[in-house]
Amino acid sequence: MQDTIQGRIYKFGDNVNSDIIIAGRYLIYIEPAKLAEHAFEMLGEGFPAKLRSFDILVAGRNFGCGSAREQASTAIKGLGIKAVVAASFARTFYRNAINDALPIVECPELYEAVAEGDEISIDLAKGVVAHAGSQYGFPQIPESVAKILKLGGLANYLKSTLRA
Amino acid sequence: MNMVEKILARKSGQKSVAPGDVVVTDIDLMVMHDLSANFVMKVFNNEMEGASIRDPSKLVFAFDHNFAPATRDAAEALAAVRKFAAKHKVQHLFDSGCGSIHHVIMEAGLVTPGMIIIGCDSHTPIHGALGAFATGVGNNSMAALGFAHSQGWFKVPETIKIHFHGTPMKAVQPRDISQFLVGKLGEDGAIYKALEYAGPYIESLDVNDRALFPLQAIDVGGKCGFVNPDEKTVRYAQQLLGSKPAASKFELFKNDPDCRYAEVVDIDVSRIEPQVACPPTVGNVKPIDAAVGTPVNVAEIGGSTGGRLSDIRALARHFVNRRVHPGVRLQVVPASRGIYLAALKEGLFETLHVAGANIFPPSCGSNQAFNMGALAEDEVMVSTQARNFPGRNGHPKARHFLASALTVAASALTGKITDPRTLEAS
Amino acid sequence: MSQPGGPMGQPVMGQTIAEKILAAKAGVSHVTPGQIVDAYPDLVMSHTATWRSVSVMKKIGATRLYDPNRLAIVLDHISPAKTEKYAADQQTSRNFAREYGIEKFYDVDAGIAHLVLMEHGHVKPGDLIVGTDSHCTIYGALGALGSGIGYTEVASVWVTGKLWMKVPTTIKLTLTGRFAAGVSAKDLMLHLIGTLGADGCGYKSVEFYGSALPEMSISERMTMANLAMEMGSKCVFIPPDEKTREWLLPRLKNPASYQPVLADKDAVYEQSIEVDLSKLTPMIACPHQVENTKPVTEVLGTRIDQAFLGSCANGKYEDLVVAAGILKGRKIDPGVRLIVTPGSKEIMLEAMRSGILATLVESGALVTNPGCGACAGDGGTMADGEVSLSTANRNFVGRMGSNKSSIYLSSPATLAASALKGEIADPREFF
Repeated sequence: MQDTIQGRIYKFGDNVNSDIIIAGRYLIYIEPAKLAEHAFEMLGEGFPAKLRSFDILVAGRNFGCGSAREQASTAIKGLGIKAVVAASFARTFYRNAINDALPIVECPELYEAVAEGDEISIDLAKGVVAHAGSQYGFPQIPESVAKILKLGGLANYLKSTLRA
Repeated sequence: MNMVEKILARKSGQKSVAPGDVVVTDIDLMVMHDLSANFVMKVFNNEMEGASIRDPSKLVFAFDHNFAPATRDAAEALAAVRKFAAKHKVQHLFDSGCGSIHHVIMEAGLVTPGMIIIGCDSHTPIHGALGAFATGVGNNSMAALGFAHSQGWFKVPETIKIHFHGTPMKAVQPRDISQFLVGKLGEDGAIYKALEYAGPYIESLDVNDRALFPLQAIDVGGKCGFVNPDEKTVRYAQQLLGSKPAASKFELFKNDPDCRYAEVVDIDVSRIEPQVACPPTVGNVKPIDAAVGTPVNVAEIGGSTGGRLSDIRALARHFVNRRVHPGVRLQVVPASRGIYLAALKEGLFETLHVAGANIFPPSCGSNQAFNMGALAEDEVMVSTQARNFPGRNGHPKARHFLASALTVAASALTGKITDPRTLEAS
Repeated sequence: MSQPGGPMGQPVMGQTIAEKILAAKAGVSHVTPGQIVDAYPDLVMSHTATWRSVSVMKKIGATRLYDPNRLAIVLDHISPAKTEKYAADQQTSRNFAREYGIEKFYDVDAGIAHLVLMEHGHVKPGDLIVGTDSHCTIYGALGALGSGIGYTEVASVWVTGKLWMKVPTTIKLTLTGRFAAGVSAKDLMLHLIGTLGADGCGYKSVEFYGSALPEMSISERMTMANLAMEMGSKCVFIPPDEKTREWLLPRLKNPASYQPVLADKDAVYEQSIEVDLSKLTPMIACPHQVENTKPVTEVLGTRIDQAFLGSCANGKYEDLVVAAGILKGRKIDPGVRLIVTPGSKEIMLEAMRSGILATLVESGALVTNPGCGACAGDGGTMADGEVSLSTANRNFVGRMGSNKSSIYLSSPATLAASALKGEIADPREFF
C-alpha cells in the first residue's frame, strides 16, 4: 500500500449513509466490480460512472453511517477510489474500510477547504494532507490496527497469521 | 345442448348452438391478476388510443402473485394498475394480500352460475364448477374485445365427458384423481375441448373439491371445464353470494338429458393411487411410487390449486403434537383473506405454527417465485401448486413435484416424498 | 493507599459497564477510554449475510472455528428466498451450520435474528456480542454489549475468537417522569436522535438511568437499545434489574450464568443528559434521515400509501398489541396497504393465541411471515412517488424501493392511527 495518495476529489456532505453508498438489493454481491456498478446509484443513475473519474472522496461528518454492510467500502474501492477523507466516520464504516484496505483519513479542516475537482495529496506516513498550498494534520490510525490496512486488509492479514 | 352450449346460446341471443359454431356473446366478468392486468393495460394504453372501457363494473383486478412487491419493477407495475383502475373507474380492485385470484373473486360473490367469465389466467376455467362458462383469453382479446366492447367471440367447443365412479382409496384425494386424469389424457388430450366432469364420484364431492377438476382443464389443453349444476352448486353459489341481489337472480343452465359428446371417458377412481406430477411438466403424472423417497427441502400448501381451508385442515390434522421434519421448510399460503381468518380462528395456524410451519399472507404463494419459493440448484419442493416447469421456482435444475395436500403433509413429516396412505392423522 | 493502584500506580476510578465488559473479555482488570484491547466475544452472530463470511473463510484457507458454540446464525433478512441467488446463498449458510455443528442455527422461518437470539436465551448481561448487523446494540436491553461489524471481521472472529475494540467513553442518560398517553419509547428515541444527531453518540457507549426506567418493559428497552444505533452509539445499556431477571431467567439454559454487570458508583461519564418523559410528544422521522425528526403535529395530513408495522425496533408483541388496540373494530383507509410482520415465531404465536392477529387482519392488514420484512427491502417495495410510514429504524433514500419514494418513521401507535386515516395522524386521539 502506498504511503502517498493523490488525485482529484469529489465532495459529499454530512451523513452519507450506507444505503446511499450501496443499496440493500445489491448485497447479494461481494465483488468490487459488480458493486461499483451500483455505488451511489440512489443519487442518480449516472453516479457510478461519474465517480469513476475522481480519485478521492471527501465528505463531512458521519460518513458511512447506518448499516454495518461491508460492501459500502468494497463498492467505493471498486470505483477505483484510492482513499476517503471525512470530517468523521461512522464506526462500522471505519472498521470495514480498514478491513477492506481502503485508506481513510479523518480531517474536518480539509473538508471545509476543498471543492469538487480540487487536487489533494495525502501522506499517510506523516499524517498530513496537502491542498492548495496548505497542509492539514490528521490523527494516525493506531499501529495495532493500521497493520491490517498495511497488509492489504483483514483477509490477507489473517492468511498471513494463519500460515505463521 | 349441454351447460356450456346453453350459456353460449343465451348470451349470443340464439335459440341453440352446436360445436363448431362461432358466436359473439356479452361477457359478464373479466378477470386479471397483477401480472396480466399490467399487460392488458399496456395493450389498451399503447395500441388502443382513444378507446374507453365499456363497462368497468365487469372488470376485476386482484393482486395475487405479489403480496408485498419485492422489487421496484413489481412495485411500479402495481402502482400503474392502481392508477389505471382509478382513472377508468374499475371498482373491483383487490390489492396485495387478497389471496389467489379465483378464490378471491368467488369469496367476494362476484361469480354467479350462468355467467360468461374470461380471464387472462389459464386457471379461469375453475368457475365451471359453479355453473359458469369460464375460459382464459389472451391480453389482446381482453383489451380489444373485453374492455372496449364487453364482448367476446367463441368457437363452441366439442365436449369430452369424463365419468368418474367408484370410491377412492384411503388418503387419495380429489387432487390425485384430477392429476391422474391429466396424466391419462395427456397435455394435448383435450385441445380446444370442453371437459365435463361427471359421474357419482363427482356428484359426491362438494363444490370446493369439484373445482379442482376444471382448474386443471388447461393442463390437457382444454378450453374450459364444468360440472353439470345441481343442488350443491345452488347452495354453494347462494352461500357465496350472501345477501347480494344476484343470490336470488341467477340462472342455472343444466345439461339436456340427450346432449352429445365427442368422447366419453370412464374412470374407476377406486384403482387410483396418490399421484405426483414430476418435473419437468404438469403432464408428467405418475403414481407416487415413482417419487417416494426423494428428499424434500420445501413443502407448500398454496396456489390456486391449494391453500383452501380444506387443505389447511387436512394438513393441520397431521401436525397435532408433531413437528415438521427438520430438513423441511413447510409453507402455508391461504387462498383468501376469509380462509386466513377462518384458519386462524379454528386454531389451525396455531397447530401448524407450533409444529414448525411458516404461515404466509393470502396470495398464490410460491407461484413463479415473486415473493417466495425460489429454490437452489439441488433443492426439491413438493407442493399443491399448479405448475412445475423448470426455472419457475429459482434454479432451472431445482425440482418441483405437484401433489395433493395429504402428500405434502406426509412429506413434510418425513422429509421425503411420502405416500400419504402410510400416514395416520395425529 | 487502601485501593489497588493502576499499572502506573495511579488511583483506579470506577468503571462503566462497557469498560467492565471489555476488560473482562480482554482478560485484564481495568481499561480506560481510548485504549485498544483484543476482546473475545461470547457470541458472534450473522444473519442472511452468513454466506459472505463463509466465503471469506474459504478464501483465507481456514477450516477450524475457534469455538462453534459461540456462533449464532439466523436467516432473517430475505426470508424465504425469492431468487435463485438468495436460495443458493441461504443454502451455503445452512450447509455451513450443519458442517460445523452450529447449534444456534435458525432458518428462514424463525424471525428477526436479534429477537430470536434474545428469546432463546442466547444473550445475557455482561456478554460481549458482535455480528453482521448494526442493530446488535439492541442486546443492551438485557445488559449485554452488542456492536455491529462487517462480514470479513465476523469470519475473523469465527477463526481467531477475538477482535480489536477501542474502549468507548460513556454518556449517562437519565429518564424521569412518565410517558403521556399515546407517547412511547419510540418517540423518546426519535426525540433523542433528532436532538443529538446521527453521530451524537458516535463511538460512545450510552447507559440509561432514572426513575422512569424500572417501569419500562423489556420490549420498550429493546426499542430504546435498537434505536440508539441511529445516534451512532457503539453500544448501549439498560442496566439489568428485576424486570430483566424475570424476563430472561426462564429462558437461560443455565440460570447461574445470569450475572448482571453494573457500573461502579464512581464510574466516569463523559456527558450527562436528562430527559423528562412527560414532556415528550409523538414524533416522526421525516425523509430521508433518521435525525430529521419533527413532532407529529407538524406533519399531520401527509398522505401515505403504505404502513409497515414490524422490524427489530417495533415488531414485538407489545407493539402489535398497541396497534391492535387502535385498529380493533375499525377498518384501515382503503388507500393504505398495511403490512404487519411479526418479529419472530414466538411473537406471531402469542398474537395468534391472544386474538391480536385476527384483529389486525380484520382491520385490513396483511400479515406476513416473521422476519425483517419490508424494513430490509423484503417486500413492501415502493414505486415512484409513493410514501410509506414505518415503525422500523431507518428511512434512508431508496431503502424501501424507488429513490423517488419516501419513508417516515413512527411509533406503532402513530402507525395504527395513520393507517386508519390514510395520512399521518396523531395517535393521542385514540387514548
